[in-house]
Amino acid sequence: MDKRFTIVGIRPAPLPAEPPKSRLRLPPLPAVVLAIIVLGCLCCDFFLPKDPAYLDLYHANTAPNAEFWFGTDTMGRDIFSMIWHGGRLSLLIGFLSTFISTAIAVLFGTAGGIAPGWLDKLLTRVAEVFLSVPSLLLVIFLQAILGHAGVLSLSIAIGVTGWMGIAKVVRTEVRRLRESEFILAARCMGGGFFHNLWVHFLPNIFPSILFMVVMNIRGAIAAESTLSFLGLGLPLEIISWGSMLSLAERGLLSGAWWMVLIPGAFLVITLLCITELGEQLRQTADRQ
Amino acid sequence: MTHRNFWLSCGQKLLVFLLSIFVLSAAVFYAARLSPGDPLVSYYGGRAEKMTPEERSRAEERLGLHDAVHVQYLRWLRDAAHGEFGVSYKYKTDVLKVIWGRFPNTLILGGASFALIFTLALGLGILCVWYEGRWLDRLICRAGTVVSCVPEFWLSLVLILVFSVWLRWLPSSGAYTVGREYDLSDRILHLLLPVTVATAGHLWYYAYMVRSRLLDELCAGYVLFAEAKGLAKRTVLFRHCLRNVLPSYLSMMAVSVPHILGGTYIIEAVFSYPGLGTLAYESARWKDYNLLMVLCLFTGIAVIFCGMLAQILNERIDPRIREALPPQERKENGHG
Amino acid sequence: MAALLELKNLSVSFDAAQGELQAVREVSLTLHPGEVLALVGESGCGKTVLCRSVMGLLPANARIKGGSILLNSVDITHYRPHELERLRGRVLSMALQDPLSALNPTIPVGEQIAEAIPKQERSVRRVVELMELVGIPEPEQRRRWYPHQFSGGMRQRCVLAAALAAAPQILFADEPTTALDVTIQAQILDLLRTFSRTLPTACLLVSHDLGAVARAADRVAVMYAGKIVETGTAEEIFSEPRHPYTQGLLRSLPSLARRGKPLYTIPGMPPPLTRLPPGDAFACRNEHAMQIDYEQMPPMFPVSETHAAATWLLDPRAPTMPPPSGAQATDLPAPPHPRKEELLLDVRGLSCEYRPRRRTVVRALDNLSFRLYRGEIFGLVGESGSGKSTAARCVMNICRPSAGYIRYQGIDICSPREFRLNRKLLQTSRQLIFQDSASSLDGKMTVADLIAEPMKLHRIRPPRGSLRQEAAFQLHYVGLDESCLDQYPAELSGGQRQRVAVARALCMEPDLLVADEPVASLDVSIQAQMMNLFRHLRAEHGVSILFIAHDLSIVRYLCDRVGVLYRGRLVECAPTEALFSAPAHPYTQALLSAVPIPDPARERGRRLLPLVETSLSGTLSEIAPEHFVLKGDAL
Repeated sequence: MDKRFTIVGIRPAPLPAEPPKSRLRLPPLPAVVLAIIVLGCLCCDFFLPKDPAYLDLYHANTAPNAEFWFGTDTMGRDIFSMIWHGGRLSLLIGFLSTFISTAIAVLFGTAGGIAPGWLDKLLTRVAEVFLSVPSLLLVIFLQAILGHAGVLSLSIAIGVTGWMGIAKVVRTEVRRLRESEFILAARCMGGGFFHNLWVHFLPNIFPSILFMVVMNIRGAIAAESTLSFLGLGLPLEIISWGSMLSLAERGLLSGAWWMVLIPGAFLVITLLCITELGEQLRQTADRQ
Repeated sequence: MTHRNFWLSCGQKLLVFLLSIFVLSAAVFYAARLSPGDPLVSYYGGRAEKMTPEERSRAEERLGLHDAVHVQYLRWLRDAAHGEFGVSYKYKTDVLKVIWGRFPNTLILGGASFALIFTLALGLGILCVWYEGRWLDRLICRAGTVVSCVPEFWLSLVLILVFSVWLRWLPSSGAYTVGREYDLSDRILHLLLPVTVATAGHLWYYAYMVRSRLLDELCAGYVLFAEAKGLAKRTVLFRHCLRNVLPSYLSMMAVSVPHILGGTYIIEAVFSYPGLGTLAYESARWKDYNLLMVLCLFTGIAVIFCGMLAQILNERIDPRIREALPPQERKENGHG
Repeated sequence: MAALLELKNLSVSFDAAQGELQAVREVSLTLHPGEVLALVGESGCGKTVLCRSVMGLLPANARIKGGSILLNSVDITHYRPHELERLRGRVLSMALQDPLSALNPTIPVGEQIAEAIPKQERSVRRVVELMELVGIPEPEQRRRWYPHQFSGGMRQRCVLAAALAAAPQILFADEPTTALDVTIQAQILDLLRTFSRTLPTACLLVSHDLGAVARAADRVAVMYAGKIVETGTAEEIFSEPRHPYTQGLLRSLPSLARRGKPLYTIPGMPPPLTRLPPGDAFACRNEHAMQIDYEQMPPMFPVSETHAAATWLLDPRAPTMPPPSGAQATDLPAPPHPRKEELLLDVRGLSCEYRPRRRTVVRALDNLSFRLYRGEIFGLVGESGSGKSTAARCVMNICRPSAGYIRYQGIDICSPREFRLNRKLLQTSRQLIFQDSASSLDGKMTVADLIAEPMKLHRIRPPRGSLRQEAAFQLHYVGLDESCLDQYPAELSGGQRQRVAVARALCMEPDLLVADEPVASLDVSIQAQMMNLFRHLRAEHGVSILFIAHDLSIVRYLCDRVGVLYRGRLVECAPTEALFSAPAHPYTQALLSAVPIPDPARERGRRLLPLVETSLSGTLSEIAPEHFVLKGDAL
């Protein structure tokens, strides 16, 4: 009898090897570019050729050349130095106001998610009104109340007007989770409010707001530049990408393209990199 | 839904509307009065700083700034009920007159961008879904991501640089050339750049929304079933998916009115376009309370009104909300 | 007779993140005019993909890798999308599992049926005809209704009407009865069978439910891991299955098992379709597997003209197959019959109402009373919407009843004061198991953390060393090994997840287990494993179980006493034998008559009792010892 036809019974089947698990891979190019920009801004003191605040009136409005790589602005400051120096404040405001927004959003969203129906309705209404009033008007208003424009007041103004999107997501997530069976199970087991919040809610909400938070940084940096450009944000002597661009308008009609294009290009590239990074994060979250 | 119920819910909505406006106006009023800054400066300009204390107090009394804030608010409310919203400190004329002069400009700019944004967004969204995953879809998405990262003011600057400074094709500011106020072609030329910027800034957001909503719909079971019934892809997309997406698109349009309005504020400022945006920005800088107040109210009313419009649209279009369930059918278990 | 549809060595693969997923592997099938061919298999075995590949409706990441599809002897394998589009509706049509999602919620059903009718015959009259054909009453009026206004069974009829609108030659019915209640399932199946006889429409019925297959199918094809392992007429498959998988499936059905005997289970789980073993995919679950099974794929061996099976056991060189051994699990000692002395749970006059909208009150439970004694398995049976889950939730203090009381070990758990006083006892000694283990386990926690969570919450020192060791012990107990400890729920299969849920409940050493449809979402072979686990728990630990289910055969196999719920009222409550042998209430009778029997000869002869509207007022009265029936005034 053929040896192969003997009954051997159940044995573990020789399965082909499991393919290696794919790990989170950040997009190489945007991440690298963003890292260069952030590091460059942080460490700019070590390599800047000029003092960014020095008014070299003799060389005002100079087009890019060997000495001034990116040219000078109408007040004779070196744009190359200003970009790295000003990037610090722009990024700082971006992070600071995102921090404020996220804090407000998580508090507001969780409250709305947990509160009884009528309170939730009220909170949603409030958020809706905030969301639909043009945020520029709100910032103008807040700036008027906070008075003197500085880094902190601007961050607060931007942070306070930019939390509604995240809050909405947090609220829906909390609502969804609250009804979910694993929370019911935790409640049956005797899990109290704080246990559930810490062990179940936060880890489950975090991935879904991560993308929004990253996008919020992007929005905050854009808002800083817009406000400073309009003259409602940082004044000219405090260097940021926005205040540099607000000066550009004066140079515009004289055709000083370097004042407009170079800082703006830096701004746009930074925003683009952050967006790409956020998209990547969202895709990894979706895959899980 | 019976007619009685309909009118009842309309009445309810009207009540909520009035209440919201009341709360909004109070909030704006208090916030404005409590903020630092000297309203006299905007009224008297540089003269305010040279005033003696007596003159100051007399001026304040004349402008009604002496009383407690709630008294001022009640007075404002009483006047507002009579249609008097006070005098703009900066322009020294009736606030409504100032706003009325600027309103048409904003309406034209906003309206044109609004129409463009929503027709193009729908078209692009459908185009993306039709060619999903192919090069056209990827190209549109890619371009959209890039454009969405460009702040509106910088785009305006670049466009001015290219088209006004270098090429000298288009004007860089204003709503019309002085002296040619009634020339339509001149007005259109002035509108071209601002409308382009406003459209580019918002277009992507809505196109992406249409795209993702449509893709969600395409995953639904009824799409598979419709295809199994033998319907063409075009029919499924337009008759089924679009029909389900349109109600939310319409309500999104309604909600976005103030959003787009806010966007045009920035653009107005860059292009020195004489609209409500520049006005709001000026009034905030000059502490022109009465003007700011009315502008805020104006925007607020638009916001609340559009939000309610969106809600009503949604309720009227979706049959699941519109049709009350016939009671006998809910019990029926299919033993017929 | 010429074949209507012929598949030759069809293979379909997906490009998945883990690599190539072979959903369908070298499938050959024929479908003849006027017959119902059933495609049976567990979830994920490639049944649905097979249908879609014929329809040309595969998702973008799937492709036909080899083989051919012949439709009326024309090769349509490489048809372009628009050519397939012309075939759909008129030649090929499909009905889906979930009738609610298959219909567009914003379009009246009449319109949705009409658009499937070819243009030249499109008319209101035709729509009404179609709706009459599938048995929808008052079609004139109801064609203007929206899908949400219909009940589940009626919606499925609407779907069938639309699928049949262009008089297709082949209808693919993809799990058409899975989402429906038992009493409606049989009606829809009969409808399918009638169509294949009266209309020129052959039907390919895809199902995992052997009972449904026995009722409707002429021929059966059994699918496992993407391959057809056995084909034959329904009689052949059900009376003399030749493939060990088919045999295992049939033997693990609770309706064919004897009460008190452990259920036969197929050991192990199906292999992942991304990493298939080289030989017979079933070898690692087959106790008679031979050496060759691990090396070479078996071809189809014909048994008779119509019957064939793909197993090396049919090779002439194979040893004669040993007679099926008894249950491979050792018999448990017969459970001591629960003594009626110790009352564990006493539910009296329980009512529960909720308001989905203002001014509407839905009464989910109405005056429900039952008792559960220590060591007993009490079954609560009902169709969807009968309030059985609400009852479970009330017992677990998740829902607040609006009237009545619940005593657990003498504690009135609805009183907040008593609940507070006995919180720890109540939270540890009652445990809940949900139907859907995917949503009842937090996806962000590892299995070890999940099992340890209740112990951490109550600061219980684990009896077996660390929390992790305790978790590993409980996992072993429910039949999983330690390698699962660091996995996340999403990485486990449905059966494994449900075991984790049970392990979590067990580590509190509960007295009462409330199981809300714990096996409803599992495949037959896994279902059998779970039921044996429940039996084991009761026998070894004396755990009492409140078992909530809609599947009567499971209840009959597992429970000691059964209560039947209908629209929130308990209509009958009796010991299992008494209830199944002599049902007294008309609803129970109708429900019992609707239970499918996995035996074609008996199943087709079975007559459905019509469900007449009964008055639900009245009181429970005892007609035999321990046998209570709701007696209305009219009865």
